[in-house]
Amino acid sequence: MIRRKGLDICLLGFLILSGGCIPMAETALSPGSPDDLPVCYAIFPAGPWESVYKIEAIITRGVSSSLLGVTKGEPSERTLQSLLLTPEGFILFDAELREGGIAVRKAVAPFDSPAFARGLMEDVTLLFLPPQGRPKTWGKEADGTWVCRWESPDGSRTEVRGSMDHGWRILRRDDQGEVTREVSLNGPFVQGLAFHLELRASKPASYRLRMTLVQAAP
Amino acid sequence: MERSRMKRFLFLSVPIVTGLLCAAAAPPQDWASLKEASRNIRSVKAEFLQKRYLQILTEPLLSKGRFFFYAPGSLRWEYLSPLRSVMLQKGDTIQLYHFSEGVWKPEMTQAVESRRMVLAEISQWFQGRFDESKAFTHLYLAGPPARVILAPKEGINRFIHRIEIVLSARSGVIDRVEIEEPGGSRTSIEFRNVEINSSIPSEIFEKP
Repeated sequence: MIRRKGLDICLLGFLILSGGCIPMAETALSPGSPDDLPVCYAIFPAGPWESVYKIEAIITRGVSSSLLGVTKGEPSERTLQSLLLTPEGFILFDAELREGGIAVRKAVAPFDSPAFARGLMEDVTLLFLPPQGRPKTWGKEADGTWVCRWESPDGSRTEVRGSMDHGWRILRRDDQGEVTREVSLNGPFVQGLAFHLELRASKPASYRLRMTLVQAAP
Repeated sequence: MERSRMKRFLFLSVPIVTGLLCAAAAPPQDWASLKEASRNIRSVKAEFLQKRYLQILTEPLLSKGRFFFYAPGSLRWEYLSPLRSVMLQKGDTIQLYHFSEGVWKPEMTQAVESRRMVLAEISQWFQGRFDESKAFTHLYLAGPPARVILAPKEGINRFIHRIEIVLSARSGVIDRVEIEEPGGSRTSIEFRNVEINSSIPSEIFEKP
Protein backbone atom coordinates (compact mmCIF):
# COMPACT_ATOMS: atom_id res chain seq x y z
CA MET A 1 0.00 0.00 0.00
CA ILE A 2 2.87 2.36 0.79
CA ARG A 3 4.35 1.61 -2.60
CA ARG A 4 1.04 2.27 -4.30
CA LYS A 5 0.69 5.62 -2.60
CA GLY A 6 4.17 6.61 -3.74
CA LEU A 7 3.35 5.72 -7.30
CA ASP A 8 0.07 7.56 -7.15
CA ILE A 9 1.84 10.71 -6.00
CA CYS A 10 4.22 10.37 -8.90
CA LEU A 11 1.46 9.88 -11.40
CA LEU A 12 -0.49 12.76 -9.98
CA GLY A 13 2.51 14.97 -10.30
CA PHE A 14 3.01 14.02 -13.90
CA LEU A 15 -0.52 13.88 -15.12
CA ILE A 16 -2.85 16.11 -13.18
CA LEU A 17 -3.50 19.50 -14.65
CA SER A 18 -1.67 22.32 -12.99
CA GLY A 19 -2.58 25.96 -13.02
CA GLY A 20 0.93 27.21 -12.44
CA CYS A 21 1.65 28.53 -15.91
CA ILE A 22 4.17 31.28 -16.31
CA PRO A 23 3.03 34.30 -18.30
CA MET A 24 6.01 35.81 -20.07
CA ALA A 25 5.69 38.42 -22.78
CA GLU A 26 7.61 38.23 -26.02
CA THR A 27 9.92 41.18 -26.52
CA ALA A 28 10.72 43.25 -29.60
CA LEU A 29 13.76 42.24 -31.65
CA SER A 30 16.30 43.94 -33.80
CA PRO A 31 15.98 41.59 -36.82
CA GLY A 32 18.88 39.32 -37.63
CA SER A 33 20.20 38.43 -41.08
CA PRO A 34 20.23 34.96 -42.69
CA ASP A 35 23.89 34.77 -41.73
CA ASP A 36 22.81 34.86 -38.09
CA LEU A 37 20.60 31.77 -38.38
CA PRO A 38 23.27 29.29 -37.16
CA VAL A 39 22.99 30.96 -33.75
CA CYS A 40 19.44 29.60 -33.51
CA TYR A 41 20.75 26.03 -33.75
CA ALA A 42 23.97 26.41 -31.76
CA ILE A 43 22.64 24.83 -28.56
CA PHE A 44 21.52 21.61 -30.27
CA PRO A 45 23.84 18.76 -31.26
CA ALA A 46 24.51 19.00 -35.00
CA GLY A 47 25.42 15.36 -35.73
CA PRO A 48 24.60 11.91 -34.34
CA TRP A 49 25.21 11.65 -30.63
CA GLU A 50 24.58 9.57 -27.54
CA SER A 51 24.46 10.79 -23.96
CA VAL A 52 23.94 9.79 -20.36
CA TYR A 53 22.52 12.35 -17.95
CA LYS A 54 21.81 11.92 -14.28
CA ILE A 55 18.36 13.29 -13.60
CA GLU A 56 16.74 14.51 -10.45
CA ALA A 57 12.99 14.69 -10.96
CA ILE A 58 11.18 16.94 -8.51
CA ILE A 59 7.50 16.18 -8.74
CA THR A 60 6.13 18.10 -5.79
CA ARG A 61 7.78 19.79 -2.84
CA GLY A 62 9.74 17.16 -0.96
CA VAL A 63 9.01 14.38 -3.46
CA SER A 64 11.85 13.59 -5.80
CA SER A 65 13.57 10.73 -7.49
CA SER A 66 16.95 10.13 -9.10
CA LEU A 67 17.26 8.39 -12.44
CA LEU A 68 19.68 8.00 -15.31
CA GLY A 69 18.59 9.19 -18.74
CA VAL A 70 20.23 7.63 -21.78
CA THR A 71 19.49 9.22 -25.15
CA LYS A 72 20.72 8.64 -28.67
CA GLY A 73 19.86 11.02 -31.49
CA GLU A 74 20.22 11.56 -35.21
CA PRO A 75 19.29 15.19 -35.91
CA SER A 76 19.26 14.89 -39.70
CA GLU A 77 16.56 12.20 -39.49
CA ARG A 78 14.90 13.67 -36.39
CA THR A 79 15.11 10.32 -34.60
CA LEU A 80 15.63 9.80 -30.89
CA GLN A 81 15.83 6.81 -28.60
CA SER A 82 15.51 7.48 -24.91
CA LEU A 83 15.87 5.24 -21.86
CA LEU A 84 15.23 5.83 -18.17
CA LEU A 85 17.27 3.69 -15.79
CA THR A 86 17.36 3.22 -12.05
CA PRO A 87 20.68 3.90 -10.29
CA GLU A 88 21.22 0.14 -10.40
CA GLY A 89 20.90 0.18 -14.19
CA PHE A 90 17.48 -1.40 -14.65
CA ILE A 91 15.53 -0.09 -17.62
CA LEU A 92 12.25 1.53 -16.61
CA PHE A 93 11.37 3.09 -19.93
CA ASP A 94 12.63 2.68 -23.48
CA ALA A 95 11.05 4.47 -26.41
CA GLU A 96 11.95 5.66 -29.86
CA LEU A 97 10.82 8.71 -31.80
CA ARG A 98 10.86 8.02 -35.53
CA GLU A 99 8.98 9.64 -38.39
CA GLY A 100 6.98 11.69 -35.92
CA GLY A 101 5.63 8.64 -34.09
CA ILE A 102 6.54 7.15 -30.71
CA ALA A 103 7.31 3.45 -30.36
CA VAL A 104 7.51 2.32 -26.73
CA ARG A 105 9.79 -0.69 -26.43
CA LYS A 106 9.53 -1.07 -22.68
CA ALA A 107 7.68 0.74 -19.91
CA VAL A 108 7.51 -0.22 -16.24
CA ALA A 109 4.92 1.30 -13.90
CA PRO A 110 4.56 4.16 -13.13
CA PHE A 111 6.11 5.04 -16.48
CA ASP A 112 3.79 2.90 -18.58
CA SER A 113 1.01 5.31 -19.56
CA PRO A 114 0.72 6.66 -23.12
CA ALA A 115 0.53 10.18 -21.64
CA PHE A 116 3.86 9.71 -19.89
CA ALA A 117 5.52 8.36 -23.05
CA ARG A 118 4.20 11.25 -25.11
CA GLY A 119 5.22 13.83 -22.52
CA LEU A 120 8.69 12.40 -22.00
CA MET A 121 9.47 12.19 -25.70
CA GLU A 122 8.20 15.73 -26.20
CA ASP A 123 10.52 16.90 -23.44
CA VAL A 124 13.49 15.00 -24.90
CA THR A 125 12.72 16.47 -28.32
CA LEU A 126 12.58 19.97 -26.85
CA LEU A 127 15.93 19.44 -25.15
CA PHE A 128 17.90 17.92 -27.99
CA LEU A 129 16.32 18.60 -31.39
CA PRO A 130 15.85 22.07 -32.87
CA PRO A 131 12.28 22.96 -33.81
CA GLN A 132 11.37 21.95 -37.35
CA GLY A 133 11.76 24.45 -40.14
CA ARG A 134 13.19 27.93 -40.15
CA PRO A 135 12.46 30.38 -37.32
CA LYS A 136 9.70 32.84 -38.07
CA THR A 137 11.72 35.63 -36.47
CA TRP A 138 15.21 35.94 -35.09
CA GLY A 139 17.43 38.73 -33.90
CA LYS A 140 18.71 40.52 -30.83
CA GLU A 141 16.99 42.21 -27.96
CA ALA A 142 18.16 45.61 -26.77
CA ASP A 143 20.55 44.05 -24.23
CA GLY A 144 22.21 41.87 -26.86
CA THR A 145 20.36 38.64 -26.08
CA TRP A 146 19.84 36.45 -29.14
CA VAL A 147 16.24 35.31 -29.70
CA CYS A 148 14.91 32.84 -32.29
CA ARG A 149 11.18 32.09 -32.50
CA TRP A 150 9.47 29.22 -34.28
CA GLU A 151 5.75 28.74 -34.74
CA SER A 152 3.98 25.40 -35.15
CA PRO A 153 0.79 24.79 -37.15
CA ASP A 154 -1.05 24.07 -33.87
CA GLY A 155 -0.30 27.58 -32.62
CA SER A 156 2.41 26.63 -30.13
CA ARG A 157 5.68 28.50 -30.25
CA THR A 158 9.26 27.70 -29.33
CA GLU A 159 11.80 30.32 -28.43
CA VAL A 160 15.56 29.92 -28.07
CA ARG A 161 17.16 32.83 -26.28
CA GLY A 162 20.46 33.65 -24.63
CA SER A 163 24.13 34.29 -25.17
CA MET A 164 27.39 32.47 -24.64
CA ASP A 165 28.11 34.71 -21.66
CA HIS A 166 24.82 34.29 -19.82
CA GLY A 167 23.67 30.83 -20.87
CA TRP A 168 20.70 29.80 -22.96
CA ARG A 169 17.04 29.07 -22.47
CA ILE A 170 14.36 27.35 -24.49
CA LEU A 171 10.76 28.43 -23.95
CA ARG A 172 7.75 26.52 -25.22
CA ARG A 173 4.48 28.48 -25.31
CA ASP A 174 1.02 27.14 -25.93
CA ASP A 175 -1.45 28.68 -28.35
CA GLN A 176 -2.47 31.15 -25.62
CA GLY A 177 1.11 32.40 -25.28
CA GLU A 178 1.62 30.87 -21.85
CA VAL A 179 4.98 29.27 -21.18
CA THR A 180 4.47 25.54 -20.61
CA ARG A 181 8.16 24.52 -20.63
CA GLU A 182 11.28 26.43 -19.74
CA VAL A 183 14.71 24.89 -20.23
CA SER A 184 17.95 26.37 -18.92
CA LEU A 185 21.15 25.20 -20.57
CA ASN A 186 24.55 25.84 -19.09
CA GLY A 187 27.93 24.81 -20.41
CA PRO A 188 30.42 23.59 -21.00
CA PHE A 189 28.99 21.98 -24.13
CA VAL A 190 30.32 18.48 -24.85
CA GLN A 191 29.58 16.95 -28.26
CA GLY A 192 27.06 19.76 -28.61
CA LEU A 193 25.36 18.77 -25.33
CA ALA A 194 24.98 21.15 -22.40
CA PHE A 195 26.62 19.91 -19.20
CA HIS A 196 23.77 21.23 -17.05
CA LEU A 197 20.11 21.25 -18.06
CA GLU A 198 17.06 22.19 -16.07
CA LEU A 199 13.55 21.74 -17.41
CA ARG A 200 10.60 23.34 -15.66
CA ALA A 201 7.23 22.12 -16.80
CA SER A 202 4.10 23.98 -15.76
CA LYS A 203 1.35 22.70 -17.99
CA PRO A 204 -0.43 20.33 -18.10
CA ALA A 205 1.70 18.85 -15.29
CA SER A 206 4.06 20.68 -12.97
CA TYR A 207 7.49 19.16 -12.41
CA ARG A 208 11.18 19.95 -12.65
CA LEU A 209 14.05 17.94 -14.08
CA ARG A 210 17.63 18.77 -13.15
CA MET A 211 20.07 17.03 -15.45
CA THR A 212 23.87 16.70 -15.36
CA LEU A 213 25.88 15.17 -18.18
CA VAL A 214 27.63 11.95 -17.20
CA GLN A 215 29.01 10.81 -20.55
CA ALA A 216 28.67 11.78 -24.19
CA ALA A 217 29.88 10.34 -27.48
CA PRO A 218 29.35 11.10 -31.17
CA MET B 1 5.47 -4.08 -12.54
CA GLU B 2 7.17 -2.10 -9.77
CA ARG B 3 7.32 -5.24 -7.72
CA SER B 4 9.07 -6.99 -10.57
CA ARG B 5 11.63 -4.23 -10.80
CA MET B 6 12.51 -4.53 -7.15
CA LYS B 7 12.67 -8.27 -7.40
CA ARG B 8 15.19 -7.88 -10.15
CA PHE B 9 17.30 -5.50 -8.12
CA LEU B 10 17.37 -7.79 -5.16
CA PHE B 11 17.83 -10.92 -7.19
CA LEU B 12 20.85 -9.30 -8.78
CA SER B 13 22.41 -8.05 -5.58
CA VAL B 14 21.82 -11.18 -3.59
CA PRO B 15 23.79 -13.63 -5.71
CA ILE B 16 26.65 -11.16 -5.70
CA VAL B 17 26.78 -10.98 -1.92
CA THR B 18 26.17 -14.67 -1.66
CA GLY B 19 29.01 -15.34 -4.03
CA LEU B 20 31.31 -13.23 -1.93
CA LEU B 21 30.29 -15.08 1.15
CA CYS B 22 30.87 -18.44 -0.37
CA ALA B 23 34.15 -17.53 -1.97
CA ALA B 24 35.42 -15.89 1.15
CA ALA B 25 35.26 -18.81 3.43
CA ALA B 26 37.69 -21.27 1.92
CA PRO B 27 39.34 -22.34 -1.32
CA PRO B 28 36.38 -23.45 -3.42
CA GLN B 29 37.21 -27.10 -3.73
CA ASP B 30 33.66 -28.25 -4.17
CA TRP B 31 30.12 -27.08 -3.78
CA ALA B 32 29.63 -28.77 -0.44
CA SER B 33 32.65 -27.01 1.07
CA LEU B 34 31.38 -23.68 -0.21
CA LYS B 35 28.06 -24.22 1.46
CA GLU B 36 29.71 -25.26 4.67
CA ALA B 37 32.16 -22.34 4.66
CA SER B 38 29.40 -19.78 4.19
CA ARG B 39 28.20 -20.59 7.67
CA ASN B 40 31.43 -19.13 9.14
CA ILE B 41 31.00 -15.70 7.59
CA ARG B 42 29.95 -12.87 9.88
CA SER B 43 30.55 -9.88 7.62
CA VAL B 44 31.69 -8.80 4.19
CA LYS B 45 32.52 -5.37 2.81
CA ALA B 46 33.83 -4.45 -0.63
CA GLU B 47 33.99 -1.79 -3.31
CA PHE B 48 32.68 -2.45 -6.79
CA LEU B 49 32.84 -1.13 -10.34
CA GLN B 50 29.70 -1.82 -12.36
CA LYS B 51 29.74 -1.75 -16.16
CA ARG B 52 26.31 -1.59 -17.75
CA TYR B 53 26.36 -2.58 -21.40
CA LEU B 54 23.37 -1.25 -23.34
CA GLN B 55 22.79 -1.63 -27.05
CA ILE B 56 22.05 2.10 -27.31
CA LEU B 57 25.51 3.06 -25.97
CA THR B 58 28.88 2.64 -27.62
CA GLU B 59 30.64 2.68 -24.25
CA PRO B 60 29.35 1.00 -21.09
CA LEU B 61 27.78 3.08 -18.36
CA LEU B 62 30.15 2.96 -15.39
CA SER B 63 28.97 3.06 -11.79
CA LYS B 64 31.06 2.85 -8.64
CA GLY B 65 29.87 1.76 -5.24
CA ARG B 66 30.38 -0.25 -2.12
CA PHE B 67 28.47 -2.74 -0.04
CA PHE B 68 28.41 -4.07 3.49
CA PHE B 69 26.83 -7.26 4.76
CA TYR B 70 26.47 -8.50 8.30
CA ALA B 71 24.92 -11.89 8.99
CA PRO B 72 22.18 -12.83 9.18
CA GLY B 73 20.17 -10.07 7.55
CA SER B 74 21.86 -6.65 7.34
CA LEU B 75 22.83 -5.23 3.98
CA ARG B 76 23.94 -1.86 2.62
CA TRP B 77 24.21 -1.64 -1.16
CA GLU B 78 25.42 1.83 -2.13
CA TYR B 79 26.19 3.57 -5.41
CA LEU B 80 28.67 6.45 -5.14
CA SER B 81 28.61 7.58 -8.79
CA PRO B 82 27.21 8.70 -11.16
CA LEU B 83 24.07 8.70 -9.01
CA ARG B 84 24.50 8.45 -5.28
CA SER B 85 21.89 6.12 -3.82
CA VAL B 86 21.67 3.49 -1.14
CA MET B 87 19.49 0.56 -0.13
CA LEU B 88 19.53 -0.30 3.55
CA GLN B 89 18.24 -3.52 5.00
CA LYS B 90 18.24 -4.41 8.67
CA GLY B 91 16.05 -7.32 9.57
CA ASP B 92 12.67 -6.69 8.07
CA THR B 93 13.26 -2.96 7.59
CA ILE B 94 14.10 -1.74 4.10
CA GLN B 95 14.99 1.86 3.27
CA LEU B 96 15.94 3.47 -0.04
CA TYR B 97 17.51 6.93 -0.40
CA HIS B 98 19.10 9.12 -3.03
CA PHE B 99 21.55 11.94 -2.36
CA SER B 100 20.51 15.34 -3.65
CA GLU B 101 21.36 18.95 -2.80
CA GLY B 102 23.71 17.82 -0.05
CA VAL B 103 21.22 15.65 1.81
CA TRP B 104 19.84 12.14 1.65
CA LYS B 105 16.23 12.02 0.49
CA PRO B 106 13.89 9.03 0.67
CA GLU B 107 13.02 7.53 -2.70
CA MET B 108 9.36 7.96 -3.48
CA THR B 109 8.81 4.28 -4.20
CA GLN B 110 9.48 1.95 -1.35
CA ALA B 111 8.16 -1.43 -2.50
CA VAL B 112 8.24 -2.68 1.06
CA GLU B 113 6.14 -5.78 0.51
CA SER B 114 8.09 -7.09 -2.43
CA ARG B 115 11.40 -6.49 -0.68
CA ARG B 116 10.29 -8.35 2.39
CA MET B 117 9.25 -11.25 0.21
CA VAL B 118 12.57 -11.39 -1.55
CA LEU B 119 14.50 -11.09 1.70
CA ALA B 120 13.14 -14.45 2.75
CA GLU B 121 14.89 -15.84 -0.31
CA ILE B 122 18.07 -14.00 0.55
CA SER B 123 18.28 -15.32 4.07
CA GLN B 124 18.26 -18.83 2.70
CA TRP B 125 21.17 -18.08 0.43
CA PHE B 126 23.17 -16.41 3.19
CA GLN B 127 22.96 -19.66 5.05
CA GLY B 128 24.24 -21.64 2.10
CA ARG B 129 20.83 -23.12 1.36
CA PHE B 130 21.06 -22.62 -2.39
CA ASP B 131 19.17 -25.81 -3.07
CA GLU B 132 16.12 -24.19 -1.51
CA SER B 133 16.13 -21.15 -3.78
CA LYS B 134 12.84 -20.49 -5.47
CA ALA B 135 14.42 -18.17 -8.02
CA PHE B 136 17.60 -19.85 -9.30
CA THR B 137 19.12 -23.21 -9.95
CA HIS B 138 22.87 -23.41 -9.46
CA LEU B 139 25.82 -25.05 -11.15
CA TYR B 140 29.30 -25.06 -9.63
CA LEU B 141 32.30 -25.27 -11.99
CA ALA B 142 35.66 -25.94 -10.30
CA GLY B 143 37.60 -24.08 -13.01
CA PRO B 144 40.08 -22.50 -12.95
CA PRO B 145 38.71 -20.00 -12.47
CA ALA B 146 36.06 -21.49 -10.23
CA ARG B 147 32.60 -20.25 -11.10
CA VAL B 148 29.05 -20.45 -9.90
CA ILE B 149 26.39 -20.31 -12.58
CA LEU B 150 22.90 -19.26 -11.51
CA ALA B 151 20.10 -20.02 -13.92
CA PRO B 152 16.74 -18.32 -13.32
CA LYS B 153 13.61 -20.33 -12.94
CA GLU B 154 10.29 -19.54 -14.61
CA GLY B 155 9.25 -15.94 -14.10
CA ILE B 156 12.66 -14.50 -13.25
CA ASN B 157 13.92 -15.63 -16.66
CA ARG B 158 11.92 -12.80 -18.22
CA PHE B 159 14.45 -10.40 -16.69
CA ILE B 160 17.64 -12.38 -16.19
CA HIS B 161 19.08 -14.89 -18.63
CA ARG B 162 22.08 -16.02 -16.60
CA ILE B 163 24.35 -15.00 -13.73
CA GLU B 164 27.97 -16.06 -13.53
CA ILE B 165 30.05 -15.51 -10.40
CA VAL B 166 33.76 -15.74 -11.16
CA LEU B 167 35.87 -16.62 -8.12
CA SER B 168 39.37 -15.28 -7.62
CA ALA B 169 42.41 -17.49 -7.20
CA ARG B 170 42.93 -15.64 -3.94
CA SER B 171 41.02 -17.42 -1.25
CA GLY B 172 38.15 -15.37 0.02
CA VAL B 173 37.67 -13.10 -2.97
CA ILE B 174 35.62 -13.14 -6.15
CA ASP B 175 36.74 -11.28 -9.23
CA ARG B 176 33.47 -10.35 -10.82
CA VAL B 177 29.84 -11.13 -11.51
CA GLU B 178 28.37 -11.19 -15.01
CA ILE B 179 24.63 -10.76 -15.39
CA GLU B 180 23.10 -11.42 -18.80
CA GLU B 181 19.62 -10.27 -19.72
CA PRO B 182 17.32 -11.37 -22.52
CA GLY B 183 17.87 -9.11 -25.53
CA GLY B 184 21.62 -8.76 -25.25
CA SER B 185 22.12 -6.20 -22.48
CA ARG B 186 24.44 -7.25 -19.70
CA THR B 187 26.07 -6.04 -16.51
CA SER B 188 29.55 -6.75 -15.20
CA ILE B 189 30.43 -6.04 -11.58
CA GLU B 190 34.07 -6.18 -10.52
CA PHE B 191 34.93 -6.29 -6.84
CA ARG B 192 37.89 -4.69 -5.09
CA ASN B 193 39.25 -4.44 -1.56
CA VAL B 194 37.09 -7.26 -0.22
CA GLU B 195 37.25 -7.62 3.55
CA ILE B 196 35.84 -10.61 5.39
CA ASN B 197 34.71 -10.68 9.02
CA SER B 198 35.89 -7.15 9.76
CA SER B 199 34.03 -4.95 12.20
CA ILE B 200 31.08 -3.00 10.75
CA PRO B 201 29.20 -0.46 12.90
CA SER B 202 25.51 -1.22 13.08
CA GLU B 203 24.53 2.29 11.96
CA ILE B 204 25.93 1.45 8.53
CA PHE B 205 22.72 -0.50 8.02
CA GLU B 206 20.45 2.05 9.66
CA LYS B 207 21.40 5.49 8.31
CA PRO B 208 22.23 6.59 4.78
